Amino acid sequence: MRTVLRILAATAALAAMAMPAAAQNYPERPIKMIVPWAAGGDTDNIFRPFAPLLQKHIGQPIVIANVTGASGTVGAREAKGSPPDGYTLYAVHDYIHLVHYAGVTDVKYSDFEPICLLSATPSVLTASPKTPWKTWAELAEDAKKRPGQITVGATLGSTSHIFPALIEKAAGVKFKYVSYEGLAPRMNAILGGHVDLTDSNLTQKGKVDAGQLKFLAIAAEKRDPEAPDVPTLKELGMDIVYAVLRGLLVPKGTPAAVRAKLDEACGKAAKEAEFADAMKKQGTRVSYLNAAEYGPFLDKLDRESKVIMTELGLAKQ
Amino acid sequence: MRLGRDSLAGLIFFAVSLILLVQSFGLPQLPLVPVGPGFYPRIVLIFMAVTSAALVVQDLLARRAEPADVPAPAQPQRAYGLVALSFVIVALYLVLLPLLGYRIATVLFVAALQATLERPTTWQQWAILAAIAIATSAVTYLVFERYLTVLLPRGSWTDW
Amino acid sequence: MFELLGHGLLTVLQWNYLVPLFAGTLIGVVGGALPGVTITMTIIVILPFTYGLDPLQGLAAMTGVYVGGSAGGLVTACLLGIPGTPSAIATTFDGFPMARGGAPGRAIWLGVWSSFFGGLIGGLFLILVTGPLAAIALQFGPWEYFSLFVLAMAMVAGLAESSFIKGLLSTAIGLLITVIGTDPIGSVPRFTFGSEFISGGFPFLPVLIGIFAFAQIMSDIEKPAVPKTPEAVLATQPSLGVSLGVSHFKVIGEILGRPFLLLWSTVVGILIGVLPAIGGSAANMLAYDQAKKFSRHPERFGTGVPEGIIASESSNNANVGGSLVTIMAFGIPGDAVTAVMLGAMTIHGIQSGPLFVSQQPALAYGIYAAYILAHLLMVLILAAGALFMLQITRVRLAVLAPVVLVLCVIGAYALNNTMQSVYVLLIFGVFGYALVKGGFPLAPLILGLILGDQIEINLIRAIMTDDNPLLFFTRPISGALLFCAALSVALAVWQHMRHRARTAREEAPDF
Repeated sequence: MRTVLRILAATAALAAMAMPAAAQNYPERPIKMIVPWAAGGDTDNIFRPFAPLLQKHIGQPIVIANVTGASGTVGAREAKGSPPDGYTLYAVHDYIHLVHYAGVTDVKYSDFEPICLLSATPSVLTASPKTPWKTWAELAEDAKKRPGQITVGATLGSTSHIFPALIEKAAGVKFKYVSYEGLAPRMNAILGGHVDLTDSNLTQKGKVDAGQLKFLAIAAEKRDPEAPDVPTLKELGMDIVYAVLRGLLVPKGTPAAVRAKLDEACGKAAKEAEFADAMKKQGTRVSYLNAAEYGPFLDKLDRESKVIMTELGLAKQ
Repeated sequence: MRLGRDSLAGLIFFAVSLILLVQSFGLPQLPLVPVGPGFYPRIVLIFMAVTSAALVVQDLLARRAEPADVPAPAQPQRAYGLVALSFVIVALYLVLLPLLGYRIATVLFVAALQATLERPTTWQQWAILAAIAIATSAVTYLVFERYLTVLLPRGSWTDW
Repeated sequence: MFELLGHGLLTVLQWNYLVPLFAGTLIGVVGGALPGVTITMTIIVILPFTYGLDPLQGLAAMTGVYVGGSAGGLVTACLLGIPGTPSAIATTFDGFPMARGGAPGRAIWLGVWSSFFGGLIGGLFLILVTGPLAAIALQFGPWEYFSLFVLAMAMVAGLAESSFIKGLLSTAIGLLITVIGTDPIGSVPRFTFGSEFISGGFPFLPVLIGIFAFAQIMSDIEKPAVPKTPEAVLATQPSLGVSLGVSHFKVIGEILGRPFLLLWSTVVGILIGVLPAIGGSAANMLAYDQAKKFSRHPERFGTGVPEGIIASESSNNANVGGSLVTIMAFGIPGDAVTAVMLGAMTIHGIQSGPLFVSQQPALAYGIYAAYILAHLLMVLILAAGALFMLQITRVRLAVLAPVVLVLCVIGAYALNNTMQSVYVLLIFGVFGYALVKGGFPLAPLILGLILGDQIEINLIRAIMTDDNPLLFFTRPISGALLFCAALSVALAVWQHMRHRARTAREEAPDF
C-alpha cells in the first residue's frame, strides 16, 4: 500500500508541473467538493445548496463527495492528497485548526489555499427540558454549587466543546463533558435528559417552541431576529462571540489562475438571494470573504485557536 | 498430534488477541475521558481470547472423543487455484484503478476475469467477451458519472 | 385523522407526486437489488434531484427509495445469495436455499408479500402510535443502549449453526474490526502499527460488501464441477423454474397462515426502527433469530423454510415505518438513510419535531400516504420486473462474477470517494472467504461490526456521565435488557447441548 501511495504522490507531482497550460481552459470537467462529514449533517446542509449556485457560475457540475471519518480528518487528508488542479474543493470549518492542535492529525489549514469564507452559524447554549433552570443566571448559580456535575454533550476537541469551555472560563464554573459526536446524537441525548447542556444552533428553534428544549444564550454580537427572546452572552456579561465558520479551500499548489476563477464564481454564487434564503433555514447567515481576505482571516483564527486550545488544556504538548 | 482446523483458527485468534491486548496498555490516556481509549478494546480482546481458547479446548476434546482413524468425508474436487487467481486479478484491478482510470481498468478487469473463469475458444466467443467488458465499463460509467453524479476514479497515468 | 389520510392519499395520487414516488420506488428496488449499492447510497444519489422539487415531491421520492430498497434487496438475496442491502442479510439464509432448491418464484413472492404486509402493518403503527413509541425511545440513555446492543449480540450469536463458541468468536472478531483505527471518543489511533492506511479504520459497508460478495462469489468459483448458478439448477429442472409464476393466493395464504410470526417479526422491525442508531440491518437478523427460537423445527432454518423469509422481509419493511416514526416525531435519524431524509427536510426549511404533525399535517399525512402507496408500487414493479430479475440468474458465472465485483468496487468507492474503502473491500473479501472456509458463521460477525462503535460510544458515555457502573443493572430498562441477554445466552447454550446430543456432527459450511 505504501508504494501505491508513493506512486500516487509522484504522479500527482508530475501532474502539478504540467498544470499551467491547462489552467486557461479550467474547468473542463466536473469538480469534486469534499465535505468531510456525512450527508444530511450540518456542514453538508450548508454546502449542498451552495453547490448548484457555484455550478451556475463556474459552468461545470459540482459533485459533493462526503469523505467521512475520524472527526473529519479523513476528509482533510484526502483533500490534502488530491492533485492541486482546481478539480478538488475542500469544504471546511474551524475544526481544521482545533483537531490539529489537539494532535488528532498533522494536516493543517496551511496545507491549503483559501478560496472564500461562506457562512457563520452562531452557537446557542441549549439546556435539556429536564433541567430546572430557566435562565443563564439560575444555571450559573447551580453550576457554582455543583462544580463538575452538570453534564455537557460535545464532540470532544471540536467547536461544540470549545464553546462551552469558553463559557466555563468566563463564568468561573466547571462542567462535565460527555462525548456526543454530531448535532443529531446531542439532540437525542438532551431531549431525553441524558445530558444537561449542549451547543446547538437556531435550526433547533422548532423544539424550543414546543417546550422540548431551552435556549439560554446565543453567542452572537446582537440578538437574532429569528429568536428575539434569547439573550446574547455579551448581555449576560461574558465577552464571547462564537460561530461555526464554513468556507472553501483548495490543495496548496493550485495555480493562481484557477484560484482566481473559483474565487470569482464563489463571490457571485454567495451573493445569490437563493443562498441567503437557504442559509436562513440553517440558522446561519452568509458571511462572505473573498480569497484575499479569507487568507489573513484564517491566520488569525488559527492563532486564536492555538491560544484557546492551550488555555483549555486540550492542546497536545 | 495434528491440530484440527478449529484448533488452528482458535490459536491464531488467541495469539492476535494477546498481542493486541499487550498493545492496548501502551495507548495514551486522555484528560477528559475517565477510562482511556484502551478500556473497551481490552474488554473485546479478553472476550476474544476466552472464546478462541474455548474453541481450541472444544476441538481437542471432540478429537479425543472420536477415533483418529476415521477417514475424512470425501470432498468434491475444489478449484482453489482458480479462487486464488481470481483474487489476484481483483487485486491487480485495484492497483490499476487509480493509475489507468475507471474506464480502462474496468474493461481489462472484466475481460481478464471472464477469460480466467471460462476461456473462450472461438473468435466469436472472444468478441462476446470483449463486448461484455466494454459494455460493462461504458454503461456503468455513463450511469454513475453522467446521470447519478458519482465520480469514479480517474487515472493518474491516463487522465481518463 | 382518517380524513387527513384520505386527503393525503388523494394528493399523492396526483401525477406530480405519483411520478417522483414511482421513480423513487423503482430506483429503490433496483438499487436494493444490486449488491454493493445500498439504500443509503441510492438515497444519497437521488438527494440532489429532490432540491428542484417541492418538499412533498422530494420526500415522496425518498420514501419510495426507502421502501423499494428494503424490498429490492430480497431479489438478489434469494437468487444470488448475496444480500442486495444489509437489511436483506437474513433473507439469504432461507431465500437462497429455497431458490436453489428449485422454487425461486416462491422464495421471491414470499419475500415480496411479506414485505408488503410487514410494511403495511408498520404503516399502521406509523400513523397510530408515532407519539407514544417515540417517547419510549427517548427514555433510552447510554446505559439502555449499551444493554440493548449486548442483548442483540447475545441473541444473534445463538444463530450459529455449528457451534455457539464459534458464534461468540465471530461476534468478537466483528467487534475487534470496529476497534481498529481511530478511537471514536478521543480520536486516538489504536492498533494501527503506525500505518496511515489502518488509522482510517475499516468502514462498515466496504467490510460488509467484501465479506458477503467475495465469500459468495469465490465459493461459487471454487466449485467448477457442480452447477454454478441457479440457472444451471433451473436447466436441470426446466419445469420448475422457467418463470416465477406462483399462485399468489397460496403464497399470501402461507404468510397470513402464520399470523403470530408475521406480527412478531413486524413488531421487532418496528421497535428496532424506532430506536435510533440500530437500523434495518439488525432488524432482519433479530426477527430471523426470533422466528427460529419460537419455531417448532429450528434445525430446518437455513435449508429454505418459508418462515425465515417471512420473518426477515416483513421485519425490514416494518423497520422503515419505525424509522419514519423517529424522524417525524423527534427529528432524530435512526440510520444513515433517515439522516439523509432529515437533511433534505431541513434544506426545504421543514423543522421536524413534535410540532411537525400538528403544524404540517398536509406534509405529514402526505408522507404516510406515500409510504402506503410505495408498497403497492413496489409489488407492481416486482410483478412486472420479476421475469427480468430472473435474468440475473441466467447469466453465467464467468460474466456475473466480474460485473458484480465491479459494482461492489463502485459501491465501496462511492461511499466516501476514496480508494481506501476499495482496498478494505478486497482485504475483507479474502478474510471473509477464509472465515467461511473455517466454518465460522458470518451473521454474528456482521452484527458485531454494525454495533461495535455504538457499543463503545455508549459504554464510554455512560461512564463519562456517571462513574457508577451499577447503573447498568439498577436502571430498570437497562437491567431488564441485560437480564434478557443472560437468558438468551442460557437458552442458546441449552439448545446447542440438546442439538448436539441428538444429532451427529455435520461438516456443512455455515453460510
